[in-house]
Amino acid sequence: MSVYINSTGHYLPGSAIDNDSIERILGKVHGKPSRLKNRILKSNGIRTRHYAMDAEHKTLESNAQMAAKAANACVDAIGLRRQRLGLLSAATSQGDLVLPGFGSMVQAELGLSDVELHTSHGICSSSMMALKHAYLSVKAGEHEAALVVASELSSRLFKASRYEAAGDQPDFNAEFLRWMLSDGAGALLLENTPGKRSLRIDWIQGYSHADAYPVCMTVGQPRTENQDLSWQDYPTYADAEAAGALLIRQDVRLLENVVKLGVDGFLRVMDKHRLTPDSIDHVLCHYSSDHFRSKIFDLLNAAGMMVPEERWYTNLYDRGNTGCASLFIMLDEFLNTQTYNEGDTLLCMVPESGRFNNVYMQLTVVNA
Amino acid sequence: MNAPATLTTPDMNEQAQQCLQKLMRVWFDFERQVGRVPIIQRLERGTFTQDDYQRLLCHLRQQVIEGGRWISRSASSFERDYLDVRSLVIGHAKDEHQDYQMLEQDYLRAGGSEDTIQTQVANLGTEALHSFLMHRASLPNPIDMIGAMWMIEGLGQKMAGSWADRIDEAVPTTPPCTQFMRYHAENDEQHMNKLYAMLDRVCRTDADGLRIVKTARVVGRLYALQLEEVDHDDTL
Repeated sequence: MSVYINSTGHYLPGSAIDNDSIERILGKVHGKPSRLKNRILKSNGIRTRHYAMDAEHKTLESNAQMAAKAANACVDAIGLRRQRLGLLSAATSQGDLVLPGFGSMVQAELGLSDVELHTSHGICSSSMMALKHAYLSVKAGEHEAALVVASELSSRLFKASRYEAAGDQPDFNAEFLRWMLSDGAGALLLENTPGKRSLRIDWIQGYSHADAYPVCMTVGQPRTENQDLSWQDYPTYADAEAAGALLIRQDVRLLENVVKLGVDGFLRVMDKHRLTPDSIDHVLCHYSSDHFRSKIFDLLNAAGMMVPEERWYTNLYDRGNTGCASLFIMLDEFLNTQTYNEGDTLLCMVPESGRFNNVYMQLTVVNA
Repeated sequence: MNAPATLTTPDMNEQAQQCLQKLMRVWFDFERQVGRVPIIQRLERGTFTQDDYQRLLCHLRQQVIEGGRWISRSASSFERDYLDVRSLVIGHAKDEHQDYQMLEQDYLRAGGSEDTIQTQVANLGTEALHSFLMHRASLPNPIDMIGAMWMIEGLGQKMAGSWADRIDEAVPTTPPCTQFMRYHAENDEQHMNKLYAMLDRVCRTDADGLRIVKTARVVGRLYALQLEEVDHDDTL
């Protein structure tokens, strides 16, 4: 049985925030402007992004509310009867609550009755894992229609007060993501029959390499040498915060591996599915930063597998890096703003640096 | 293989291009194999000690010294149809044959004793790697040695680009004790371009490509074994 993406939707909170306004919202740590901001922004190439939090650090919309808005936009775009939805599959890097699962909160926000529920846990690739679960459920005939939602509200991690609570000025690894991640949500509707404008899911394939590499992006690990400690091992959460264990960190020295493993997986799926660069009409790649784009291209060129650059689409620079929501937001905007034809092939890829989980997907346009 | 930004599309025949793509995958797989070796995990996770480094250098020394031999042997095994390749490989052997002196100096700077490194015997992985390389290098026109060079070249870049900084942090000495590892960072691009040109020259059929890739895989597996044996050394 084939599975089709019959609708897409996204939601970005508030107005677009340019580079000069980021610090006005997130705040200056100990009242001082960041010395790393411009360097990191120049490297990631992001020009505007959205935050669901205001300059007083009041959360304007919850993560679950943003997820519900994207989901409603997706379902309403084709006027789907909600009773058809048998499965809600949700993803986020950090829900509003530690427990229960994010899916429960999104379901309640949506007012969906009697659905089967799935929540996937991870970082950028968690949306693809949620999508794969929904894809297989529909493919297996368990459900006729499934809604997949991915949402991120990472700005709450970036409040100046959080860094101040962890001591002095943040180190590079702790500050790196502050100028990269932002908020937003995306949703996809999967059905077992094509609609007026559909993408058939040909396959979804992931490769995880956590056994071979150290952890590269974390929340919950202190900045000390003892990386076996978890934020939950401290006597109080205040102690954990003071040790920097609640900051989101990226071990930038390990980041180069994302490029290599991302390209490795690309070559593997090309080989497995006997694809050539000519057979791919569009590439939607969630690279977290412009810095990686040219590195990916270099390796694909060396391998003789470069898909011409004009076929690569991204909205990273204007919509920001919204973690697990990125690919869904990208796909929605691609379908609504770009030119494509029936039979076109889309290759989607989401390399995640958390502990190196990369997921790839091929879609074919069946009704343009 | 640490993705130098200047890497451009190599201009090569189709078999060589396909072979290069497979060699890249062999390399990526090898990096994962190495990432599972305990001593390298300690290095990448910040628990690497001075003792670890001394043992690592002691064990690498045997393979580095023998490195000059298999490259020279390969050169002498190329017959008249491969005179140009023979010249290139001789040049390569000349570049590399005194690496071990730098390594020994690093070892002494890292607090090791001359006696220990001079009497260290090859570990099981080194034995297997060296024997394999000498065997292949002794066959007529051993074009698959380019697969071995690809791996060894990649290792040089990995040492310089990823390991040396971490070792300097774990074993801070003045002057630094990582000159052997850093030496390989120089002329990266030039070395890669030479390898691409040689691959284009020697890889002309599917069978050539398969043999080159297989040798690269064996070298990777045995090199990882050599690193595993650093922790297993029990000198029976």
